[in-house]
Amino acid sequence: MQRLLSGALIALAMLIAGGPAQAQTMGYADAMSILVKSCGPDIEKYCKNVNLGNGRIESCLADNAADVSDTCKADYVAAYLALQARFAAQEAVPQLCAADVNRLCPRVTRGKGFTLQCLLNKTRLSDRCSQAITDAGYR
Amino acid sequence: MRRLTIAVVAVTLAAATAGAQNIISTQEIVESLQGVEREATLNPQDIRAMALENIQRNPGENAPKGVPMANLMENLRQFNVEINFDFDSDRINPSSYEAMGAIADALHTPYLLGQKFLIIGHTDARGTREYNLELSQRRAEAVRNALSTTFRIDPGRLLSAGLGEEELRDPANPDAAVNRRVQLINIGF
Repeated sequence: MQRLLSGALIALAMLIAGGPAQAQTMGYADAMSILVKSCGPDIEKYCKNVNLGNGRIESCLADNAADVSDTCKADYVAAYLALQARFAAQEAVPQLCAADVNRLCPRVTRGKGFTLQCLLNKTRLSDRCSQAITDAGYR
Repeated sequence: MRRLTIAVVAVTLAAATAGAQNIISTQEIVESLQGVEREATLNPQDIRAMALENIQRNPGENAPKGVPMANLMENLRQFNVEINFDFDSDRINPSSYEAMGAIADALHTPYLLGQKFLIIGHTDARGTREYNLELSQRRAEAVRNALSTTFRIDPGRLLSAGLGEEELRDPANPDAAVNRRVQLINIGF
């Protein structure tokens, strides 16, 4: 049942996002922009004393699902999935760019941020690393 | 590394129209905060003690002068953003969710990854100074809490403190909206 339900949600979100071919990734600012536009009135109506953080807004919207607008529900799922796609893209960067790091930034030892900064300064990135960096929202 | 001539960028959200896209840009925040190589010694306890001392030593309805550490803080890489809170509350108004998202996106970029930030809350001058100090601390903590949970920033990278109305941005207009803000200071690695 759980699996069925999440499958249905994802299918719905795919329809809204415009197809599954290339997972669209989105940053927090854009996701919040969509969320506030679609759910802002519901949040102010049903969650007036609920603060952002610790999943409280999500819980509040779920508690009031019967009254929350359909636009809010659909856009919430779409924004959620686009954010998840962004996280996945960020986690995939080290692997997809490993060869590029070895080739272009072998002497950067100060950690993830510095390695990525080095890559961002290079023009001869492989296509897959370049795409991974774009999907991760690092540009 | 790109150098910026202005260290502080103030952004007023109050005038932003509903539905405006990307009220503040992530890029703008990154450029204001990046390029720190050394750790700054600033901590919430000292800031609180300094604010309380300022209230005691320089009494009055409004703070007659700012806190001594302000000069030091001015020299650090920082960004001032107006976050709308509900009246007399630490609830972040949904009108500022996008601004919170932009801050989070900035802190997740390679340019700021792993660096630590001090979040300082400021109020305008309405209400008593002691009350505003407490309110600003709660608001800074609300921002820290949202960033570290909803926006997945490692809580170890975030400190929060309040300065109430002790450091007004526009002392000539103590009740002006521009004074109600959250200051984000890069305190290094």
